[in-house]
Amino acid sequence: MSELARVLDAFSEAYGCGAVLWTQAGADAPLEVAATSGGDVTPPARAELGATDGAPEDQVRERATALGRQLVARIPGRTRAWLGVGPVADDDGDAMRWMRVLVPVLAQMLQSQWEARRATDELAERYEEINLLYSISEILGRTVTLEEAARTILMEVAETVGAEYGALLVHDAVSGLLRPVTALRVAGAATAIPIPIDEAVSVTARVFRTRRALLVNAGVLESEYEASFREGAMLSVPIVWTTPDGGIPLGVVSLSGRRGGFGFTAGDEKLVAAVGSQIGTAIQNARLVRASIDQERLASEMRLAHDLQMRLLPSGAAVAPDAMCAARVEAADGVGGDFYNLFRLGGGRTGVLVGDVSSHGYRAALIMALVMSASAIHAQTTADPAETVQALLATLEEELHETEMFLSLCYAVIDRDAGTLRWTNSGHPHAFVIGADGTVTRLEATDPPLGLGPDALHAAARPWKADDLLVIFTDGVSDARDARGKALGEKRVLDVLTARRRELPSRIVDGVFALVEGHMGRNRPHDDQAVVVLRSS
Amino acid sequence: MSLQVSKNGDVVVIEVDGQLIVGNRQELKQRVLDEAEGGARKILIDFARAGYIDSSGLGVLVSLAKRMRELGGDLRLANLNDDLQTLFELTKLDSLFQIADTRERALESF
Repeated sequence: MSELARVLDAFSEAYGCGAVLWTQAGADAPLEVAATSGGDVTPPARAELGATDGAPEDQVRERATALGRQLVARIPGRTRAWLGVGPVADDDGDAMRWMRVLVPVLAQMLQSQWEARRATDELAERYEEINLLYSISEILGRTVTLEEAARTILMEVAETVGAEYGALLVHDAVSGLLRPVTALRVAGAATAIPIPIDEAVSVTARVFRTRRALLVNAGVLESEYEASFREGAMLSVPIVWTTPDGGIPLGVVSLSGRRGGFGFTAGDEKLVAAVGSQIGTAIQNARLVRASIDQERLASEMRLAHDLQMRLLPSGAAVAPDAMCAARVEAADGVGGDFYNLFRLGGGRTGVLVGDVSSHGYRAALIMALVMSASAIHAQTTADPAETVQALLATLEEELHETEMFLSLCYAVIDRDAGTLRWTNSGHPHAFVIGADGTVTRLEATDPPLGLGPDALHAAARPWKADDLLVIFTDGVSDARDARGKALGEKRVLDVLTARRRELPSRIVDGVFALVEGHMGRNRPHDDQAVVVLRSS
Repeated sequence: MSLQVSKNGDVVVIEVDGQLIVGNRQELKQRVLDEAEGGARKILIDFARAGYIDSSGLGVLVSLAKRMRELGGDLRLANLNDDLQTLFELTKLDSLFQIADTRERALESF
C-alpha cells in the first residue's frame, strides 16, 4: 500500500467516510485514481473540479455521485491532483474543515513524490549524458578522419535524444559555408547541401552566427537548405572548440524528427549543448590528424623529389678525362632551382652549365628538370655556347612566360687544346676564372637572365690555360646569412677559392661549403646553394 | 617591406622601405598595377631605403617594366645602393631599366 493510501485510510477511519485522490498527467489527459480509501472513484467532470486559486471555499466543489454527496478539492502544487471526500451528509459542516486539514498533507506528500521523481529523471538524464560523453571520448581516441568522427558522433547524439534525422555541418572559412560532413537524411531526400552562414531563414546558420542553441517547433523557420534532414521540430546546437582564449565556432549539429512525435525538450537541448564542445574537440582532433598525415605525405614526396632531382645532376666524372670537376647543390626547400650540367663535347672540349631558377620549390624544380634534359640535347648540336643557350631559351620560353619565372644561367665551353674559353652568361653574377697566380677574372654577363631580356643572346671569349680554374656558384652561396642576417659576401667566397686553387676540385668545393656552413651556424639556408669547380686535365 | 606612395606632377613615386623579396613582391606588383589601372603612366620606384632585392624581386621589376611599356608608359628606378647597383650590372639587368642616382634626377629624366 502506498503512503498516500495509508493517509487516506487513516482519514476514513478517523472521519468515517471515503476519500479518493485523482491525478492528471496533463491538461488534456484523463484523471486517474492514484489512491482511495472508499467512496465513488468516478473521475469528476471538468466543471466539478475545484479551482486552483481564489478563496478556500472556491477551491472546493461538491457533486452528487451514485453513493451520495462528494466534495472535490484541488491539491495545490506541481502535480495536477484532486481529492474527493464522500459521501457526506448535506448538513455535515465538519466535512469542509477536515478537507482543509487533509489537502495540505496530501499537497506536501505529492510535492515530495514529484521531487523524488524529478531527482530520478535527472539521474537518468545524467547517466545518458555521461554515457554520451564516454562514447565521444572513445571516438576521440580512435578516430582518424573528420568524416568518421562526425558520422559516429551524430549517430550517438541522435540516438541519445531520440532524433531520426540530423546533420553535422562544419564551417568552411574560405567559402563562408556550413558544409554538411555527415547527415541522417529524411527518406527520399536529396543529399544535404552547404548552407551560407548569412542565410536568413536557416536555423543552422542562425545558430552558427549567434553561437546559441535554438529549439524551434514544426513549421517555424523552415529553410530549403535544411529540407534533407529536417522533419518537424528542430534542435540546433553550436559546435565550439574551446581554447584558452575562449571558444572558436567550428560548426553546428542540427537534429530533427524526434521519435514518438514528441518535441525536443529543454533537457535535450541542455544535453546536446553540453557535448557541443566535445564534438568541437573531436573535429579539431580529426583535422589535426589529417593535417599531420598530409604533412608527412608531403614531406615524403619532397624527399623523393629531392632524391630524383639530385640524380638528374651528373657526377664530376662525366667530363673525365678531359677535365676534373666537382660540384654540389644544396636545396633550401627539399627541391630547388639551382642546378648544373656537364658535357663532354669531343675534341677536348668541355661544357659547364650552371643555372639558378628564380624562386625554389616545386615549380623551380620543374623548370630545372626541363633545362637539364633540353641542355643535354642542345649542347651536343653545337660547340657555340650562345647557340646552345639560344636553343635552350626557345625550348623554355613558353614555360617561363606562363610561370612568370626566369633563370640566370652561365654556360662555358672550354677548348683545352685550342686554349680558349667561350661563354654565354645570361645574368649569372658569380662565374670566375682563377689563374694559377691567384688572379680572379669574372666572366661578365653577356645578357640579362633568360626570360627577362631580349631574345638574341651573345657570347664572349678569353684565353684558357691548363692550370686555370673555372668556378661558378649561385647567389645562395654568397647571400648565405648568419644569425644576425649578415650576408657571407662574394669576396669571402673568392678568398677561399683563391687560397685553395691548387687543391683538387672536390676539396675546393668542400672548402666553400665549410665556409658557408660556418657562417650560417644554425641558420637554415633561405636559397639554394650550388658550387661547380673545374680544371682541365 | 613597406611602400610609401606619392605624386610628383604626373609621376607616381613608390618608395620601397626594406627588402623586396619573394614574400612581398606581390605587394609591390599589385600597387604598381593599381596605379596603372588608375591611369598612371610614369612610375618611379625609389630604393633609397631598400637594402636587398632577391631574384623574385628582380623578376617583378622586369615584369612591371614590361607591363608599363605595353601600356605606353615607363617604369624607372632610382637610388640603388652600391650592392644593388652592382647586382643590376652583374646580371645585365641595367640594360633593361633606366636607373638614376637620385630621385630628383630620375624625375627630371621623365
